Amino acid sequence: MAISDDAPALGETLAVLLARDMADGEKVIIGTNSDIQLAACNLARLMQAPRLWWISGPGGMVNPTRDHLISTADFENIESAEAWMDLPNMIDFIDWQVHFFDFAILSALQVDRFGNINTVVVGDQAKPKLRGPGTVGISALCGLAKRFYVLLTRHDKSAFRPRVDFICGPGHLEGGDSRERAGLPPGGPKLVLSPLGVFDFQPGTKAMRVKSLNPGVTLEQVRDATAFDLVVEGTPPITVMPSAAELALLRERVDVRRTLQKKFP
Amino acid sequence: MNQSKLISIEEAVAEVADGSSLGLGGWIFNAQPMALVRALIRKGAKNLDLIPTPSSIAPDLLIGANCVRSTVCVFISFEQFGLAPHFRRQAEAGTLKVHDLDGPGIAGGLRAAICDLPWMPIPDLGTDLPKHAPDFYQPLPHVEGQRKLLAAKAVKPDVCFIHAQQADVHGNVQHLGPPFFDAMLAQASRRVIVSVDRIVSSETIRRHNHLTKLPAAMVDAVVEAPWGAHPTASPTLHRADEAHLAEYVKAAAQPERWQAYLQKYVVGAASNAAYLDALGGARLAALAVSESTLV
Repeated sequence: MAISDDAPALGETLAVLLARDMADGEKVIIGTNSDIQLAACNLARLMQAPRLWWISGPGGMVNPTRDHLISTADFENIESAEAWMDLPNMIDFIDWQVHFFDFAILSALQVDRFGNINTVVVGDQAKPKLRGPGTVGISALCGLAKRFYVLLTRHDKSAFRPRVDFICGPGHLEGGDSRERAGLPPGGPKLVLSPLGVFDFQPGTKAMRVKSLNPGVTLEQVRDATAFDLVVEGTPPITVMPSAAELALLRERVDVRRTLQKKFP
Repeated sequence: MNQSKLISIEEAVAEVADGSSLGLGGWIFNAQPMALVRALIRKGAKNLDLIPTPSSIAPDLLIGANCVRSTVCVFISFEQFGLAPHFRRQAEAGTLKVHDLDGPGIAGGLRAAICDLPWMPIPDLGTDLPKHAPDFYQPLPHVEGQRKLLAAKAVKPDVCFIHAQQADVHGNVQHLGPPFFDAMLAQASRRVIVSVDRIVSSETIRRHNHLTKLPAAMVDAVVEAPWGAHPTASPTLHRADEAHLAEYVKAAAQPERWQAYLQKYVVGAASNAAYLDALGGARLAALAVSESTLV
């Protein structure tokens, strides 16, 4: 079918890149307003991770099966879920347990050089330049999951900051071993994905590093769009974009309504 | 326990004094207690301190109608429609005091209140939250070799509004979808007011008693308000009205349009029935869940 030969939309690329990094049997929580996260987990279950276990953060439904994307809070997830937990029985018993979750995937208003994230305010909390939605489960998931991913659908100097204006999701804090010194369990951000490329963190310093650049993106372009110095080692490779087979699975089994194309073109 | 707790919506909101702390249940575009919120605005409530669980239009409408002096923010979002317009504007103007709480802060605080304890220990996750909300978080002494902890101070609303799908007149409240934070919020609050889409018999309640998330002993008053969560969803009965949410966001962007919105849907619609008439029957019918929309 010609439809699967179309170039991937941004949301589709991000979902495929995330799906590839998930391992079979891992446990994941998916929060509210999480179309890309949900698509990534359901796609991974159709590829290398059939026993990936995911739970809806707001609604407590476990592994609902759908061929399209609906909000994780939506009651329609109930009828195809294998379990349905009440929020009071999962928030602290699961979210706050060290390393219960293998990973979480979080969006942000800002991410900084050490992978700390901010969804609260740009500027001063008492009189912000931009008032964001708040923290909800982000603090516990960044602090206590084995690893986390940061997903940004824009890459510019207002999003990639030397230091976030408000830490609501702890990454590597001040870099180096500061996360461990703050008493947090091992973990932190593994990858940051943006429209320009994929970024990881240099061992030791824990500073953000260019892992790969998306096709057609130059290092100069990324530097110009980032408000701190990225670590660059040698010539970064080009991101391996979604294959025809990955896109076909995504479009025919995970997102038949093409929500990702509509919301994240 | 056998006395009826069914009261009118006007009676329900009459008991909410100005300056109260008000908990709001539901989750973003699900089960926001909107009929109660609109009635409270019509009453002319002032200086409320809101304690919304993750939410959208319930706190935003109260803020936009100038009923609010402070709000807790666990998460206040309009998701695909952007940021919450009035919450954002008043926070950015510095005229609305915002207490940012994370999941552990609100859940720990509600649990403390439920247990009549002054606070509940939660993990210190290295965030900036405690610095900005010292009334809600306090550091606990660190014991060498143990995890760093914070005290999440008890969160005990004077009153809370919850919307569920059905209840009997005794106040046994059933959630036909996810209960989100509603049960914790109800247990933690001094007074619990619940609106439901329909009042059902006690036999119906007993037949499906696993759905009773708020037993009568936790509930002070029940109000019958069909479609009382509109424009958010009432899980399993109707979906969120996305067209109305978009209309709301558009109206909120401009003062005259906002006054017109308030007039048409809140102040000028003197009852829940008048609100539903303002929306129109066809509009509401299109939101009802049907088999064909569950594919």
